[in-house]
Amino acid sequence: MKAKPQRLRTFYLSLFFVLLYIPVLAVILYSFNQSPSTAQWTGFTLDWYRQLFRDRVIAEVFKISIVVAISTSILSALLGTAAAITTLQVTEGMEKKINTVMLLPLLVPEVALGVSLLLFFSALKLPFGYLTLILSHTLFCTPYVYIMVQLRLKEIDISVIEAAKDLGAGRWQIIKTIILPLVAPSILTASLLAVAISLDDVVISTYMAGPTSTTLPVHIFSMMRVGVTPKVNALCTLILVGTFFIIGFSQFISKKSKQREEFN
Amino acid sequence: MFNLKKIKQNAPAVPILVWTGILVGIPLIYVVVLSFLSRDSLGNIVFEFTWENYKRIFDPVYLKVFYNSFLLAVLTGLITLLIGYPVAYFTANLEANRRSLAMGLIILPFWISSLLRVYGWIILLGNNGLINSLLLKFKIIDKPLTMMYNFGTVLVGTAYMLIPFMIVALYNSIDKLDRSLLEASYDLGASKWKTFFKITLPLTMPGIAGGFTLVFIPALGLFFISDLLGGGKNIFLGNLINAQIKGRNRPLAAAFSVGMIILVLLVLYIYTRITKNKKEGLFL
Repeated sequence: MKAKPQRLRTFYLSLFFVLLYIPVLAVILYSFNQSPSTAQWTGFTLDWYRQLFRDRVIAEVFKISIVVAISTSILSALLGTAAAITTLQVTEGMEKKINTVMLLPLLVPEVALGVSLLLFFSALKLPFGYLTLILSHTLFCTPYVYIMVQLRLKEIDISVIEAAKDLGAGRWQIIKTIILPLVAPSILTASLLAVAISLDDVVISTYMAGPTSTTLPVHIFSMMRVGVTPKVNALCTLILVGTFFIIGFSQFISKKSKQREEFN
Repeated sequence: MFNLKKIKQNAPAVPILVWTGILVGIPLIYVVVLSFLSRDSLGNIVFEFTWENYKRIFDPVYLKVFYNSFLLAVLTGLITLLIGYPVAYFTANLEANRRSLAMGLIILPFWISSLLRVYGWIILLGNNGLINSLLLKFKIIDKPLTMMYNFGTVLVGTAYMLIPFMIVALYNSIDKLDRSLLEASYDLGASKWKTFFKITLPLTMPGIAGGFTLVFIPALGLFFISDLLGGGKNIFLGNLINAQIKGRNRPLAAAFSVGMIILVLLVLYIYTRITKNKKEGLFL
């Protein structure tokens, strides 16, 4: 009797996951195809990867994207953490306000956010390029850091902080010696997520890029608009491998910190 | 009047509110202002009040674009809900080890480049794509099926892109469900389906509303999906705004953006009505 619904469950979930990953696997597979068309498989090759490494434009936009992603990650880690820690101290009403304000960038559709920033920055006559890219990316990455740190803070035993207060610890001392060490793994995971999100953004970067400084996703998008070429497949595959290294690293860190917690 | 202690307690919040206020609040207000301004023949903004940009939204051509985008976002919400609910429900009922594996597989696409995921569909659905070449090879069809460049293609791409958001929202809601309520329902003789419709579904309503909102908002503006999968014939709001920006008609782009934000506010309003008495928020 019980076996039937279980079989249905396994079947449905397996089918879903196969469909979820087939498009991704198709991209990877055809990055190794000799023929530039997906119509047939003509044999294995690494030529498209070789072409990729000779492409000067891609190297240039990749460098820009990395600089933007790392700056964004550092800035949003600082801002998101600061905002989350602030909520520990303020009144409940203020905490709700901070919540709304911090999550606002995620509630505005990216196109509308991008257009509003484009119009605003050009009214301020800011130079489009690194500055506008980093500012806008920080804007939509900070909420993720805020959410992840906030979730971790909710797990912390308040009595520890109360005890520290009773023993005469000041605000900075409590933040530095109790809160920050406890949320550090979350901050790190969130910063890595910020790197991934920044490296993936197409919509806002389209509006924020300068005349000479476009980002990797915006460049890939324009390549894709021209048509299917295995060079794009190869590039996407490399980005995927890079991202998986980041995920592996963040998994490793969260495992380490969990082990340490259990040990204590 | 002034509670000095409260002001002092809330003081650290000021920099955060100011920072987000400058980068989100002021630009959005500026967009609203700009949407009422005109432009000269060179595309420069002229400080002269006009309703013209909003009148143009009601031009049948543009109205169709609004309708298309709204339809796309609503259908994306419904499709991801219908496909995602069983996924979330079954995953929540798996034993611990398999559950974390399934959750990992659901969350992993968040990390995979969204362009790659759209591009995968071009490779699958294109005229020379994987599906067509397989069907041709096994002689199931004798000329390639046209699966690209229509509304359905954009819908598939958008739903595929956003379904992880829906599943995570649903999962959080289903996972919190008090199992003893279900057992009580069975004990009282209710069938599986009755229990699902009378207990599980109403109690997971916040998750459904949250998932729908999280999917609806981005579905309105992911212009690269409609651009790559929809071709030139299927224009959505994101593509239109993009075209106006390129054509240097900034006041009109601003008016369309305001229109888009109004659609979002509508959905957020419905969301807050549904989850009025619930503690959990959209993200936290």
